[in-house]
Amino acid sequence: MKWRAPVLVGMLSSVLSLAAAASEAAGVFARDAWIREAPPGAAMLAGYMALQNQSSQPQVLVAAKSPSFGAVMIHRTIVKDGMAGMSHTSQIELAPNATLNFSPGGYHLMLSNPRRALRVGDRVEIYLEFRSGLVLPVAFEVRK
Amino acid sequence: MYLGPVKQASLKIGILTAIVTLAALAAVWLAATYRESDSQARLLPDRVMTVFPAPQPLTAFALTDHQNRGFDLSRLRGRWSFLFFGFTHCPDICPTTLADMARVREDTAKSTAGAEDVQFVFVSVDPGRDTASRLGQYVAHFHPTFLGVTGDDAQLRNLAGQLGAAYQVEAAPGVENYPVYHAAAVFLVDPQARYRAVFTPPLDAEVISRRFDVLRKLEGPGAQ
Repeated sequence: MKWRAPVLVGMLSSVLSLAAAASEAAGVFARDAWIREAPPGAAMLAGYMALQNQSSQPQVLVAAKSPSFGAVMIHRTIVKDGMAGMSHTSQIELAPNATLNFSPGGYHLMLSNPRRALRVGDRVEIYLEFRSGLVLPVAFEVRK
Repeated sequence: MYLGPVKQASLKIGILTAIVTLAALAAVWLAATYRESDSQARLLPDRVMTVFPAPQPLTAFALTDHQNRGFDLSRLRGRWSFLFFGFTHCPDICPTTLADMARVREDTAKSTAGAEDVQFVFVSVDPGRDTASRLGQYVAHFHPTFLGVTGDDAQLRNLAGQLGAAYQVEAAPGVENYPVYHAAAVFLVDPQARYRAVFTPPLDAEVISRRFDVLRKLEGPGAQ
């Protein structure tokens, strides 16, 4: 029975998403969204999450905004020839049923000029904007 | 072919000498191989850490720490030093690596050897923005004992060059958030101020702690 595995995986990930109190809009989910607590006065922070497209359409992330930061940009840390640098990404396409991990050392939301000092346990809202017009609000938790 | 009794005897001696020499060489080779594979088995089961068989003694450099004290070769003697190059306007890899280093320090403090003779040094390659006070605030967030150091470009190039830590600052007039590229590795300098090992990403604090502990044990007491 070839259809079983994907269905089970789909069901399982749905259950996991619900359990994680995920943000969801039109089949797009963000799970485990967090910001690393930054040193006092830091001008730059990073946001991480697992972004999941459970819709049958590709979803293209084109921007992110937040009232808590001066600017939010989609970035990716790239290590080339032993040197780390950041490249700005103007958009990311999520294929149907694909998950993209924003994680340390890889894709991240670069959060500049926080409006207030963020401490462990704080929650901030970041709005992810997709080309389709979809806007997904995601609550990021500040962690150590 | 008949060689005569004298020639036959010398041929026998020659063959005997060759066999003895070969056996001796084989023994030396086996011993060397065994030693090498033994140390590799204990230190390099993965690609996290590369230990240099011939540690490179560092030469003089002059930087300044976050308390405006000179940071030179003497500050590396008598203790192990983990060095990481970065800048404070770095949202992802620098805080991630410093958080990893804080975990390594915690693990090391719990080990029998302790963390008394271990220091963690964040070298900012962006002295234009990273003042001493800014660096101090930044590193203290990760651990109160962490050191922030920086200096002019010539001195940064000096130390970075000795460790093979490439970096590039693309500062431009009027640009606030200019890009900075820097080595992603963590460098380990031994208590004799020799470049001893390098940890390459993806970094894993727990694995780094374990490898470091083994290296220190192999070194034995009196490594200073």
